[in-house]
Amino acid sequence: MQTEFDVVIVGSGAGGAPIAYTLAKAGKSVLVLEKGPLFKPQYQDPLGLSDFKRDEAFSTGAEKRIQIPEVANNGASYYSSHVEPDLNDEPHVYRRPDGQDAATIEGYTAQVVGGGTQLYGSVSLRFSPLDLRLKSFNEGRTDLRYDPNGDIKREARDWPITYDDLEPYYCKAETIIGVNGTQQGQTKPFSEDCYQKPLTPNPISQYIETGMDAKGMPRYRTPLALITEDHAPSGRTVPSDPETAKSGYVNRYGDALGLKSSTWVSLLGPISTLPNFELRPNCVVTHIECEGSVVNRVHYLDPSGMPQVVEGKLVVIACSAIESVRLLKLSAQLSPEFDQRINQNDLLGKYFLTHCFGGASANVPTPNRFDKSISLDSDWATDFCATEDFLRDSHLWAGGAIYNNTSDRALPMSLARNYGSQDLDTVWQAFMDATQLTGDALVTFLDRNFGRGLSVSFMANQLPLKTNRIELHPAVKDKWGRPVAYILKQWHYHDIALMNTFAGQCADILTRAGVTDGLGEGGVYMAENALARCANHILGGARFGTDPQDSVLDTTCRAWHFDNLYLTDGSFMPTSGGANPTLTIQANSFRVADEMLKRM
Amino acid sequence: MAVQVLVKDDLYVLNQCAKYLARSNSDSRHNFGQFDPGDIRARICESWRFPIVDVYSDGVNFESTYAQNEVTFVYSHEGSTPPQQISVVGTFSNLYEPVPLRKVGDSKYFTVTVLVPKGQIHTYKYILDGEAIVDPINPQRVTLDNGNIWSRFFTFLCTTPLALEQWERDLLARLTDHVLPFRTKEAQDFLNRYYYGLDRQTKDTQYIRAYRLDEPVGVVSFIDNLLAREENHHLIDYKICLPLIRELLRTRNPFVEPTLMPADLYEDLYKEMATGNVNGWDYNRYNNPRYFLQLLRRHTYTGAFSHPRYGGNIGASGWAYLEETFRDQNGKSAFDWRKALEVPLGSNADYHG
Repeated sequence: MQTEFDVVIVGSGAGGAPIAYTLAKAGKSVLVLEKGPLFKPQYQDPLGLSDFKRDEAFSTGAEKRIQIPEVANNGASYYSSHVEPDLNDEPHVYRRPDGQDAATIEGYTAQVVGGGTQLYGSVSLRFSPLDLRLKSFNEGRTDLRYDPNGDIKREARDWPITYDDLEPYYCKAETIIGVNGTQQGQTKPFSEDCYQKPLTPNPISQYIETGMDAKGMPRYRTPLALITEDHAPSGRTVPSDPETAKSGYVNRYGDALGLKSSTWVSLLGPISTLPNFELRPNCVVTHIECEGSVVNRVHYLDPSGMPQVVEGKLVVIACSAIESVRLLKLSAQLSPEFDQRINQNDLLGKYFLTHCFGGASANVPTPNRFDKSISLDSDWATDFCATEDFLRDSHLWAGGAIYNNTSDRALPMSLARNYGSQDLDTVWQAFMDATQLTGDALVTFLDRNFGRGLSVSFMANQLPLKTNRIELHPAVKDKWGRPVAYILKQWHYHDIALMNTFAGQCADILTRAGVTDGLGEGGVYMAENALARCANHILGGARFGTDPQDSVLDTTCRAWHFDNLYLTDGSFMPTSGGANPTLTIQANSFRVADEMLKRM
Repeated sequence: MAVQVLVKDDLYVLNQCAKYLARSNSDSRHNFGQFDPGDIRARICESWRFPIVDVYSDGVNFESTYAQNEVTFVYSHEGSTPPQQISVVGTFSNLYEPVPLRKVGDSKYFTVTVLVPKGQIHTYKYILDGEAIVDPINPQRVTLDNGNIWSRFFTFLCTTPLALEQWERDLLARLTDHVLPFRTKEAQDFLNRYYYGLDRQTKDTQYIRAYRLDEPVGVVSFIDNLLAREENHHLIDYKICLPLIRELLRTRNPFVEPTLMPADLYEDLYKEMATGNVNGWDYNRYNNPRYFLQLLRRHTYTGAFSHPRYGGNIGASGWAYLEETFRDQNGKSAFDWRKALEVPLGSNADYHG
């Protein structure tokens, strides 16, 4: 088996796959190591079957129980997807607001080739130019509120690259990955329109059109990484009826038809026939070693759990922010030299970020009802809350995107198990607690909720704080006996104010459309387990910058003090951006791949 | 008839094994009460997945092959020298004809995949160099009449009782009836029309050997399957609470069998269970009646509305009820579930299940 490669990439998701694609196409020998299995869509299977199914038990499986004596939620039930890491084998431990530790896994964490892009709802928004220069934007402002200690001005950072630097790579990512949407109505500049044509919206989204128009919010079709037309770059074709893509089995499911543009179907599948590309699924990297400034050995366990070693002239770590930071910290534990190089400042794991996230939800007025099971994740989005004017008017440091969710609670099981549940840690719990919902009361519950729920979400920047960080847990070990990641994270006052403001905007959209039955609004900070599972997007912890004293990575996402070590998942982000991060991670990885090619 | 052996590629087997079977932990981190202390299966995540029962197709006719499953046996060899010969014998094949397992690449896994019709239960053992052993991974084991212990598996749409006895199933049928929305007259009429209106071919492919024709949504079978496999750790809850509820109902009405008692007795019981305070409940045997009600509701709802492959929602009758009941402002159904799903269950020409 080959052990030496030009590039070894750890992780096959949004951060790793664009690099593999670019470098393999340039003739470099590339190895991708992926912890999870390679599950293929139907069109790649000789018998026409996929390992992904349109089956609700694949997204939320049978009950299991946390059996980790060191955590406060020991004994709690959990229900995982078939491609999520098992909580007892590979938990992340968070410190709860009450000071106790709890085990969890962030939503959309997927151990499978393609990573989170297999499960995500596929929302593929760009960040705004403003998202990349929040330090400059907030300097000299006197209108900021909810920041008594001046944290914004101290902690905000501009990215070391501008939107203009990233823009060609946004176009590249949209083209090569396969994204549908509309450009008109977005505030972000586009050098070209690379979107495929969106499918028709679900009729329930008419209320969103009405609400957004009534509020004067310019709207656009939410960009979704899902092909609606034949896609030449990946060789994928759409069925005779492209509307077949619409089903309740998109968000939180791998797509059996391969229309959702996971990094497997869009990037790695197309290069998998090249002789200079190799993918090793079911292989978990345990640590990396260096000699001087050169990372020279990547250690992993094969599908039998046997140790193996490979070498890469360049080494890319992209196994999602928390796991990438953990891998570096574990490597540092095993080697003083690695430790000394990666920890020349104290920033590794610091400035961990998620998103200020939340929204509003209500039921459409009777007697109206819609078949939400024939939809994609989202139909309409607006940048209304991402403009400088809006932020100055609301005294906020940074903006975000607002979009509706069309497919939530679309299927009977998801309707019940997500009832009253603010995050995935409380799946089923509220339904189970609502013991009055039996017989006739259950009919009433279904009558009120089936096909009637409509929600609007926001995704906005979180203020970076050094105290929000990723460490190694002192006691809890994974199934290999390695310390698991330990996440310490709190919300800033300003984050809470921001979430309240954005949630109010979301509620307004529904109210102006007359969707007020059972209206509720809020931010992720209000969830029972506010720090944890709602963290769908995990970012930061190894930010890039121009100053080696103020960052972990240089502007090319190469670790300072190393010659050949790169981090390209969301961990590089100094701020979390006002949108779902996947497209930006992909665009940045295409950019980094070009930087790597320049030196090879 | 000789069993049909299918050739699966190594990747398929490794994809199904690494997450669950590659590990070095020695602690029982996957024991939720279903294993005795020290049982090595408690170290393994979701050991119930083995052998792997999966969708089958010949790649030509997805409809005619729908009635069969692939079953992939995995023997994971721990230690240095593997056996020379590994095979599997079982009721799915001629008992005297062992089916050999092959080594998967340079891994520790040995495997073979066979074709088994849906709706079946089988027992099997591995033969390692002539010595018969039960599957060390699969938690399902049965003791045969002769005292021999064999490993067991069942395929999709299994309606034969596995975990619960007949009287337990009868009582459970009453209990689940009062959780579900199907006991209104309209719902019953609809289900009868739907269920008896299905043509013979649909009945053959979608609910093979339906065990109880008066159980149109099949929730009892679903729960029975679940307790036999994925949620075996909850079997104890049912084994304690079903007798307890039977005794309690008999105390409340000594003249009628619990399964024949009027609805209000069940409704009252649920109201009391919801408060955790049940008159006459033996708290020494089970201290949290509210918890059992919660469990029962989750299982019942899941059984009625999950994919029919799991034994409930027979012929998709639970979905059909929702389709019929919930309509939009124009009278059109708000749940066209067929559109997304595989033929013959649904009508999607592109998705194969």
